[in-house]
Amino acid sequence: MSAPATKSHYLWEDPPDEEKYSACVHCGLCLESCPTYLETGHEQQSPRGRVHLIKAVAEGKIPLSPGFEQPVFTCLDCRACETACPSGVQVGSLIEAARGQIRKAMPLTGWRALLHAVFLRGVFPHPSRLFALGKLMKLYQRSGLQALARKTGLLNLLPGHLQAMERVVPAVPDPVMKRYPEVIPAQGTPRGRVALLTGCVMDVLFGDINEATVRVLTRNGYEVVVPRDQRCCGALHIHAGDREQGKILARRNIDAFLHARVDSVIVNAAGCGCALKEYPELLQNDPAYREKAVQFAEKVADISKFLAAHGYEKPTGRVEARVAYHDACHLAHGQGIRAEPRQLLREIPGVAWVEMPLADRCCGSAGIYNLTHPEMAGKILDEKMKAVPEQADIIAMGNPGCMLQMMMGVHRHGRTQRVVHTVQLLDWAYQREAAPQEERGM
Amino acid sequence: MAAIDPLVRELSQIVGPDAVLYRREDLIAYECDGYTVRKQPPRAVVFPSCTAEVSAVVKHLHERHIPFIPRGAGTGLSGGAIPLGGEVIISLVRMKRLLHVDYENRLAVVEPGFVNLKLTNAVAAKGYYYAPDPSSQYACTIGGNVAENAGGAHCLKYGVTTNHVLGLEVVLADGEIVEIGGVPDTPGYDLLGLLTGSEGTLGIVTKITVRILKNPEGKKTVLAYFDSVEEASRAVSDIVAAGIVPAALEMMDKTAIEGVEAGNYPVGHPKGLEALLLIEVDGISAGIDDQIARIVEVCQNRNVSEVKVAASEEERARWWANRKTAFPAMGAISPDYLVQDGVIPRSRLPEVLEKISRISARSGLRIANVFHAGDGNLHPLILFDARIPGETERAVQVGSEVLKACADAGGSITGEHGVGIEKKEEMRYIFTDEEIAAQIGIRDVFNPQNLLNPDKLFPKPGRCAEMRTAPGEAR
Repeated sequence: MSAPATKSHYLWEDPPDEEKYSACVHCGLCLESCPTYLETGHEQQSPRGRVHLIKAVAEGKIPLSPGFEQPVFTCLDCRACETACPSGVQVGSLIEAARGQIRKAMPLTGWRALLHAVFLRGVFPHPSRLFALGKLMKLYQRSGLQALARKTGLLNLLPGHLQAMERVVPAVPDPVMKRYPEVIPAQGTPRGRVALLTGCVMDVLFGDINEATVRVLTRNGYEVVVPRDQRCCGALHIHAGDREQGKILARRNIDAFLHARVDSVIVNAAGCGCALKEYPELLQNDPAYREKAVQFAEKVADISKFLAAHGYEKPTGRVEARVAYHDACHLAHGQGIRAEPRQLLREIPGVAWVEMPLADRCCGSAGIYNLTHPEMAGKILDEKMKAVPEQADIIAMGNPGCMLQMMMGVHRHGRTQRVVHTVQLLDWAYQREAAPQEERGM
Repeated sequence: MAAIDPLVRELSQIVGPDAVLYRREDLIAYECDGYTVRKQPPRAVVFPSCTAEVSAVVKHLHERHIPFIPRGAGTGLSGGAIPLGGEVIISLVRMKRLLHVDYENRLAVVEPGFVNLKLTNAVAAKGYYYAPDPSSQYACTIGGNVAENAGGAHCLKYGVTTNHVLGLEVVLADGEIVEIGGVPDTPGYDLLGLLTGSEGTLGIVTKITVRILKNPEGKKTVLAYFDSVEEASRAVSDIVAAGIVPAALEMMDKTAIEGVEAGNYPVGHPKGLEALLLIEVDGISAGIDDQIARIVEVCQNRNVSEVKVAASEEERARWWANRKTAFPAMGAISPDYLVQDGVIPRSRLPEVLEKISRISARSGLRIANVFHAGDGNLHPLILFDARIPGETERAVQVGSEVLKACADAGGSITGEHGVGIEKKEEMRYIFTDEEIAAQIGIRDVFNPQNLLNPDKLFPKPGRCAEMRTAPGEAR
């Protein structure tokens, strides 16, 4: 029954933690929470099935093989199972550790290896390259190239999901990192000093959301620091099994943010917030950073949670819209933040609340899952879109990856909803206090 | 690479290649269900999507004498869905539609893979629900519930699965499709009753007609804390003796409370409690407050340290989530557990609990007690660590001793989890060899070659007169 540790096929640093998989008693209460199980009906594509296989590798029953790799990498890492699990098994952490082992045993080859090297290692860790990519995107959108590409059918050469993504990528604004000074002063009576994680995708594709976050924070009396040395949070790397790069980025961010001497580190991307809060686990074997990681993680706060916890000025400007809310997995399941964003949205004058069934079911975005597993991501998105109420004008959420995915869903299903970040709605409400006439411009 | 099992190719031709699993890693995921003491991967897993496919698959296996096991969500606790060597698992999770709801006649028709709680969710808007509520209802399937004759917290008042099944469509061992029941009060033998709880040994259920009930007009829930297990158990008997029939009457002891509080759904029970009772009454609103007052009074007579009524639906839901996740929450305080399912006359609760506590002390293994006290259905959770050599065997032994204690007290070895592979030998505590042989005779009418879920439910032959043993050639 029990196997001595010597039989384990996990040979590298950071193997899946035995304490964590031992907590699973194989009850199956996670099954119905798992999007990939619901789609396939296959045990190995379920949380307990994956944990069972992770344990089987440790017990030497199966090797680190393609048959193990497939279910482990088909996991969305959405962590809905962690909410469902009676005994609190940390499935996400186990999956990430298993992926690290798989990537060591079976390094990527061919075009996947190339993509990983170019994007995850070549671009994301380097802000200047990310911004250059953003500029290219902007050039593409505004020079007429996009129109030409769409007209000539050139885009049809792309796989379907990339075509859809090309359609929905918003007009790229300038990143906050480029446009704001390193320290942005508070308005009115100062209440504290916070730092903003600008994020990679967030600042390049959704600079306007970062801008809204800065405005909301300064308006509420916070001095906002945008540390120049910050980097991508590393979540994408850790999800892909590249823990080394994840650790490099984590150390860099810890230094950058601790150096900024702030009370809190504000995050507006759920996936990044979750990754930052898990730095202590990532760096638990790093004596130089172990304690700093804990000190840093304690400061990390999602914008909605931060505002709810510290109080904020209730807007008087109106946003006349019927609003539904989608729980980003890494907010609801990853950080247990559900009530705060809802409360924040409902307190905006003019907002009519529309309940969305299965609001905390994954949309299929899951970092770059929609690029690596387009077919599964597409099916999960279709299920999600079924739950989006027809009568809603707006779907609000707290994660850029979900926003892109939901924009694709709206596009693909011929729906009309506008996809926005929670903090954007609050920002609009503030802005409309000054210019109440414009309020019907939804 | 080993050559592909020709059976996989044949099954793929029936259900399509996406609906057959055969890779070693995939099969490992099916090596056990909610009972993890014994593991064995199946030969293959096949996922039919309709009755015709189930029938075709069964016919194919039957012709080749290959044994097979129907499986739902795999949440069972007695190992009913665990292969013992060479079986093909027929997974019914892709047959998960709610086919029909007839509010006028208060019934619903579902496919076997339809999840229990989803039925209540589907009819809730009209004020109806499906009564049997096993604690795994978030995930378990109604097909599996029928196979195990599943119970649940509210079965005290409303009865177990068999009391709610009105009709079945069944694929027999040779692939023939038959319908049973469906007409109110079918004359002749009660085949529905026979099939329900047959643990997958008589046929594969492919369609189920169940009763749905109107929501009770009122409902109140009480939580009572005790400093003594004995006082709490006596309060249970007193409540029922006072003529009150609660909808549910649940008990947890100290170790169980420690587990649920360490798990994912803690309530914040005070520290140092010896026992708690969770009591729910429902029905027409008029009498409920009176019943609650009487329950509180009974508890006070038994020196309850605190008793409170749920102040809101939210609080009530929290209490129930805490109770319903109690088994798996033990994972938070122990790497493994084995849950038993003994039944005893309510009046003998204190004495049997005392016996269990002695068994625990003697074995050195902790036992947490979580149970449906109202109907005397005990669920001692034997906590152990499979990594320690010999501990699993000791846990199994302790389980058997607990069941013996229940049987000796005039009770039974299973209330709702089934016999499976776990309690086969313990069947001898209840039945004589002749009685077991008679039951096997019934099985042989439906399943003459013992291909359907072989070697489950009954003890190994030898002392009893089982004639047929070797199912299929693939062993």
